[in-house]
Amino acid sequence: MQSINDRSRDIGDFFAEADDSVLICRCEEITKGEIRRAVHDGMFTLTEIRRYLRTGMGLCQGQSCGNLVKKIVAKELGVSANSLEPVFSRAPMRPVEMKILANERGV
Amino acid sequence: MKRYDLIVVGAGPSGLSAAIEAAKYGLNVAVFDENTRPGGQLFKQVHKFFGSKEHKAKIRGFQIGQDLLAEAKALGVEVILNATVTGLFQDKEITVKIADAICHYKADSIIVATGAAENTVPFAGWTLPGVMGAGAAQTLMNLHGIKPGNKILMLGSGNVGLVVGYQLLQAGCELAALVDASPKVGGYGVHAAKLARAGVPFFLSHTIVQAKGNDHVTGVEIAQVDENWKVIPASKKYFEVDTICMAVGLSPMAQLINMAGAKMETNPQKGGCVPISNAYGETSLAGVFVAGDVAGVEEASSAMIEGHIAGVSAAAYLGFIGKEEQISRYKDLESSLCKLRQGMFSLENRGKVPSTTEEGYATANNLLYQGFCTEEEVLRFPGTTKQVGVHAVIECLQNIPCNPCQEACARHCIKIGEKITSLPSVDEEKTCSGCGMCVASCSGQAIFLVDESYADGYASVTMPYEFLPLPQVGEIGWALDRSGEAVCKTEVVQVKTSPVFDHTNLLTIKVPVDKAMSARFFKGGVFHAIHK
Repeated sequence: MQSINDRSRDIGDFFAEADDSVLICRCEEITKGEIRRAVHDGMFTLTEIRRYLRTGMGLCQGQSCGNLVKKIVAKELGVSANSLEPVFSRAPMRPVEMKILANERGV
Repeated sequence: MKRYDLIVVGAGPSGLSAAIEAAKYGLNVAVFDENTRPGGQLFKQVHKFFGSKEHKAKIRGFQIGQDLLAEAKALGVEVILNATVTGLFQDKEITVKIADAICHYKADSIIVATGAAENTVPFAGWTLPGVMGAGAAQTLMNLHGIKPGNKILMLGSGNVGLVVGYQLLQAGCELAALVDASPKVGGYGVHAAKLARAGVPFFLSHTIVQAKGNDHVTGVEIAQVDENWKVIPASKKYFEVDTICMAVGLSPMAQLINMAGAKMETNPQKGGCVPISNAYGETSLAGVFVAGDVAGVEEASSAMIEGHIAGVSAAAYLGFIGKEEQISRYKDLESSLCKLRQGMFSLENRGKVPSTTEEGYATANNLLYQGFCTEEEVLRFPGTTKQVGVHAVIECLQNIPCNPCQEACARHCIKIGEKITSLPSVDEEKTCSGCGMCVASCSGQAIFLVDESYADGYASVTMPYEFLPLPQVGEIGWALDRSGEAVCKTEVVQVKTSPVFDHTNLLTIKVPVDKAMSARFFKGGVFHAIHK
């Protein structure tokens, strides 16, 4: 079985698509074209895409775009979206201001 | 650090139910929710729920929310609102953002009931103001009393799209179209039928091409899709709308349980990335349970039962009840859950198109593919009988889990039987009193009273009516058929309201006898001069 993450795998050339300018990650303002391009730049995992483009790193923490990014990346790689490893979640679950994060109380 | 026996994250239907169940066994329970109001999505649900009595059928969602909250409080459950759980760590410690501080709490068991979030579909212009989730539109109108827009296009024909679409009509919005890429209606036929007879056009096998507008939505272009979901350019249609609602499914909000280290799986049947859990709500983490949509997207009625199950599991985990008591209670709950998880829309039947109902009646395909049933379809089902005098005509043509009509009829004219997904049938041997209790009890608004001997040459049709202003006796308007087409001019001859009807009014109109089986909606008021 060929690994999804095998970077020597040929995923074909990048071709511009008509809807490349559609915004996908609204918080960080990342378009579909940027996400597709990132895959061709070698970002094969959702975690890499997130670090490379900051999709899902904004206010909503990927609640809106998470699934969309996954589908776009999967299509570009020619695999099923369900076969991609989900991104990990870490605290804080919701955006928290630094002054609040620093104000810890034991209760 | 404050400690509890059980911490529940999320005060929605499953979270509150879990807290109630656990508190009954003596657990010291706290429920945290990030929202200002408890109840999760329940407080937005102004429609009557399905199921049977044990599932709180025919009670409106917000009322169920109020009941759950009162029950939880009476049992001493601490419900802490405006409290965002930001992390779930080792040894069942949570961090919660409350006001301007991060507070730490610990419990011996945790139930994660964080629910789900709305999906979106991107199209050109989808980031324009005026494009929103159907749930967001529901929050605006039902929680905050704000009309989401005046003219709206709804994308998605699942139950969320259909129910919210109907509530938009109730709020006074105009629904320009209901659009779904699938060739068939995704939700209950009875929900679709309510929209269709009110004149909402269905565009199935259609998708949104683009939203138009500069600083807000002013219009939307839709087009038909072929069997490969590709847009057929020649089929483009344009609607002037100010709002586009998306009801395209939900995804579990599983981030918290994911970060806690629970084993996860991607399961499309459950709505995406979910914690691996068993029938008891147990996850891979000992003492950490899940319930409701976060464990797999379903609906509020089953979420409540799952909450109870997780509550029992937590009580057993901590030794508040023995294994025997746990299993016995679990079995009751499981049987209740099984009743809901049957029929045409159950998980195992999802996506399938049955050729017949469980009873062997040929599937009402017009209902499935157009959103309304034909007269011929209605006539071949057991809810329709030819009788002299007033009698119920039940236009419930799919196996869905619901049975309040059976109990509503004091004369036992309506029979569903043990299995709540069975179709209701009308017993011709029994005599209908015309009381209308069945009409008001039907959560799908699918029961009508028809009297073909009302007056010389005229029949009366009594329908459930949940719009304001309520028409007055003597008001003239149009009788619309199941597709929303005007069939004839009509007069309102009776309007019945009663506390037992719970805001479902009974409107009786007078139509020529030959229209008795086609007139199903009344459009009066400012609309009376126009028709589709």
